[in-house]
Amino acid sequence: MYFGTAPLVDATTAPLSPDDLAPLAAGGRWRDGAALVPLKDRDGQEVVGAVAVRPHPAPHGPLPGGFGFAFPAAILAVTVAAVIAFRERSLRRGAYMGAAMVLALATYLDVRWAARDGTDRWLVDTRRLLQEAATRLPPPRVRVAISDLAALVRDGEVALGEPAESAPRRVRVDGERRAVVAVLIGSGRWVELRSVPAELEAPRWLLLLLPCALLGPMAILLLRWAERTPARRLREAAIAWGFVGPAALHVTIFTIGPALYAIYLASTANVRALLRDPLTWNAFRNTALYALYVPVSVALALAAALAIYRYRHHWGGRLLSAAFLLPYVASAVVIALLWQAIYRWGSFGLGRPDWLSNAGTALPALMLTSVWAHMGGQMLVFLAGLQAIPQAYLDSARVDGAGAWRGFWRVTLPLLRPVTWFVVLTGLLGAFEMFALVFVLTQGGPFPPRATDVLVHRVYGAAFGAQAFAVACALAVVFAAVLLLLTWPQLAILRRQVRNA
Amino acid sequence: MASVALRRLSKVFDGGIQALSDLDLDVRDGELLVLLGPSGSGKTTILRCIAGLEEPSSGDVVIGERVVTHDAPGARDVAMVFQTPALYPHLSVRENIAFPLDMRGVADAQVARRVAEAAARLAIASVLDRMPDQLAEGERQRAALARAVVRAPQAFLFDEPLSRLDANLRIELRAELLALHRALGATMIYVTHDQTEAMTMGQRIAVLHEGRLRQVGTPEDVYLRPADVHVARFVGAPGMNVLQGRGRGMGEGGRVVEAGSLTIPIELNTYEGELQVGIRPENVGLCAVDRGVGNVDVLVVEPLGSETLVLLNAGGQRLVARLPGFADVRVGMRVGVNVDRRRLHLFDAAGAPLA
Repeated sequence: MYFGTAPLVDATTAPLSPDDLAPLAAGGRWRDGAALVPLKDRDGQEVVGAVAVRPHPAPHGPLPGGFGFAFPAAILAVTVAAVIAFRERSLRRGAYMGAAMVLALATYLDVRWAARDGTDRWLVDTRRLLQEAATRLPPPRVRVAISDLAALVRDGEVALGEPAESAPRRVRVDGERRAVVAVLIGSGRWVELRSVPAELEAPRWLLLLLPCALLGPMAILLLRWAERTPARRLREAAIAWGFVGPAALHVTIFTIGPALYAIYLASTANVRALLRDPLTWNAFRNTALYALYVPVSVALALAAALAIYRYRHHWGGRLLSAAFLLPYVASAVVIALLWQAIYRWGSFGLGRPDWLSNAGTALPALMLTSVWAHMGGQMLVFLAGLQAIPQAYLDSARVDGAGAWRGFWRVTLPLLRPVTWFVVLTGLLGAFEMFALVFVLTQGGPFPPRATDVLVHRVYGAAFGAQAFAVACALAVVFAAVLLLLTWPQLAILRRQVRNA
Repeated sequence: MASVALRRLSKVFDGGIQALSDLDLDVRDGELLVLLGPSGSGKTTILRCIAGLEEPSSGDVVIGERVVTHDAPGARDVAMVFQTPALYPHLSVRENIAFPLDMRGVADAQVARRVAEAAARLAIASVLDRMPDQLAEGERQRAALARAVVRAPQAFLFDEPLSRLDANLRIELRAELLALHRALGATMIYVTHDQTEAMTMGQRIAVLHEGRLRQVGTPEDVYLRPADVHVARFVGAPGMNVLQGRGRGMGEGGRVVEAGSLTIPIELNTYEGELQVGIRPENVGLCAVDRGVGNVDVLVVEPLGSETLVLLNAGGQRLVARLPGFADVRVGMRVGVNVDRRRLHLFDAAGAPLA
C-alpha cells in the first residue's frame, strides 16, 4: 500500500483504538511527532490502521564502519611489529612508534570520515522522509506546517530555508557548527534540516582508540616473555591466570570500572559549592560523633572476651558468648527494626517515649544500637587474640608476682595490642560507612537539624533523592579521600604491630 | 634459699586424668634436683604445683618452713624458666629482667643495680636495650635465666629450658647453669627428659613414671641400681634392654633364664617362673654363632663413630648392643651373643627388682 518510505520505517506505535481511526480517516495524520500513514482495507475505502513513521535517531559518534578498518589494521600492525622485533632481536622503538603514530592517524581519519558519512546519510535519509511526509501525508490542499515537520525530527532542527544544492553542507549557525541540508517540501517551499555533525565527537573516540596502539608493545613483550620462559612455567602462568582471570575481570568491571566512572562524574561536579554546603559539614560532624561509639564497644567487647575466656570451659561462658554473638550474625535491618520497637514502645521507661524523633537523642540512640550490634564480632576477635597468647607468658607473669589486674595491664593488653588496633580500625571504618541503621530508623532525621544524616546517607540522598549523581560522586570521592587520610597511618601502625607480634 | 618438699601430693585433672599420685619428695636447700621421666609422666605438673600454677588435688607443697599449697604463685617467691624463653615481646630485655622486681615494688635504683648484676652474670649486658625479637636464640634463653636470677628467689624451677636449643648451645648453657648453681648455692628443680642433662647436672635424680616417683638417688645410683624396670628402661641412652623370660633349674645347681632365643645363666635363689632380665647395651657383646648364650639376627646397624648401636632380634624380643668403634656387622647376619653376667638386673614379672 505504501512503499515510498518503507525502508525508513523504524517503529510503529501501539495499535490504534477505533476512536483514533476516525480522525485518521478525516485527514488528521500527525500525532505525537510521528507521521501516521493510514492503512486501508482491500477496497481502499476504510481506514483500518496506521503506520507511525519517524526518522532514525541521528548518529552519535562513529558508526561501526570505522572499526571495520581500524581493528584489522591494528592486528596487522601488531603482527608486523612483532615479526620485525623478533627478526631483528631488538625492539626498533623509533620504527614502531612511527608505525603506531601512522596507525593512530589512520584510525582517527577513518573514524572521522565514518562519523561525517553517518551524519550525511542521516541528513539525506531524513530529507526524503520529510519530503514524502510533506507532500503525501497531509489531506488535499492543506499546506503542512513547519512545526509539524519539526516535531517529526527529534534529533535535529527544521528551519525555514533557501533553495540550495542537494549535498549536505557544514555551516556555522550562531557560532555552532551544524551539518545542514536543504529540503524542498512543496512548490517553492524550502526548509533547512540541521543536526550536530557526529565528527565533532571523533577526538573523544581517539582517546579510546589510542590505547589500542599499546597492544603492539604489549604483544611484543608478551611474546618475548613467552619465548624466554620455559614451557613448564608458561603452563603454570596460564593456569594461574585461569584462576585469577575471572576474579580479576569481575573486580575490573564491577569495582575498578565504577570507581573510575564515579571519579569521572565527580570531576564534573562543583566541589567548591559542595564544600560550602552546610549539609556536607553536618554529615561529617554526625559521622564523627557517631564513630565515638567504637571505643565504647571495643572496651566492652574486650571486657566480655576476658570474662568469656576466663570461663570458657564453663556453661556460663558459652552462654555468654552465644548471647554476644547473636546480634553479630543478625542482619543490620533486623537489628534496626528490633531497636525501632524498643525505642518506640519501650525507651526503657526513661524520659519521653521516642528517642529516635528527638534531635538530641536520635544519634546517641543509634550509637547505643551500634554498640549492641558490633560488640559480638569484636568480642570474637578479642577471644581469638586471647587464645593466641602463649600460656607461658601468662604463667611467667603469675610466677613473677603479677596479679590478675597488673597481669592484664602489663602483659595481656600489650600482647593484644595488634588485635586491639585491628578491632578499632575495622570498627571505625564500619562506623564511617554506616548506612543501614540510619536508612531504616531515622532517614537522616529528625529533620530540622538533620541530626542523624551521616555521610553515606548524605551521598545516598544526593544521588537518589536529589538525583544529583555528580554531586553524590563528588561527595563519595571526598569522603573516600578523608577516610584514606585517616586510616593510612593506622594501617601502617597495624602492619608494624603485626610484624612485631 | 630454702628447701622444697612435697607431702603426699596428688593431682587429678578435669576429665579424671590422674597426673600425680601420692608423691613425696624432699629437695634439700641448695640442691640441684633433676626430675626425669618420659612425656606425660607428670614432671611438669610437679613443677607447676610447686610454682602455684596448678592447684594440687590433695597433699601439700612446703617451701622452707612454710606450707604454700594455696598461696598465689607470686607469693611463693620461686622463679620459673619455661621451655620457651617467654620474654614479653613488647618489653626490652632490660624491662623484661626488671619485670619481677617491678611487680614487687623494688626501688628504681636497686632495680637498676640488680638487673645489671644479673645481666653481667649471664653475659648479656650488651643486649639489654634490644627487643626480644632482635636476640639470638641462646641470648633469649639467657635473658629468661637472668629474669629468674634477678629475683634471688627461694628456689628455681626449670621446665626443660634447653630442649629447644641446638646441640652446641645446649652444652654451653648446661655448663653455665651448673656454674650458676655453684655461684648462687641455689635450690634448683630441673625438669628434663634428656638423659645427658639429667646425668651431668643432677646432684640427685628423681625418676617419674605415670605420675609416681619411682626412684630418687644420685645419677650413679639410678643408673647402676635401678629401683624398678621402668627406671631401668628409661635411664640411659639407649635405655636398658629388658627381656621377658622364664627361670628354671638346670640340675647341678645351675640356673638359667630362657628369654627368646637366649639362655642366660643366673645366680639367684628365687628364680622359678616368669621374670624379666635387664641388660645394659654396653654389657651385650657379639661373637660367632653358637659360641655365646644364644643366636640372634641383626635388624639394624647404627654406626655413630665412637660406637655402633646394633638392634638384634633374639627370638622375637628386641635387644640393643652397644659396640665400640665401627663394628663389623651387617643387617641380616646371624651372630652369637655374649652378656656380662655380673651386670644382669633381674626383676619380677611386676617390675620389682629381685635381689
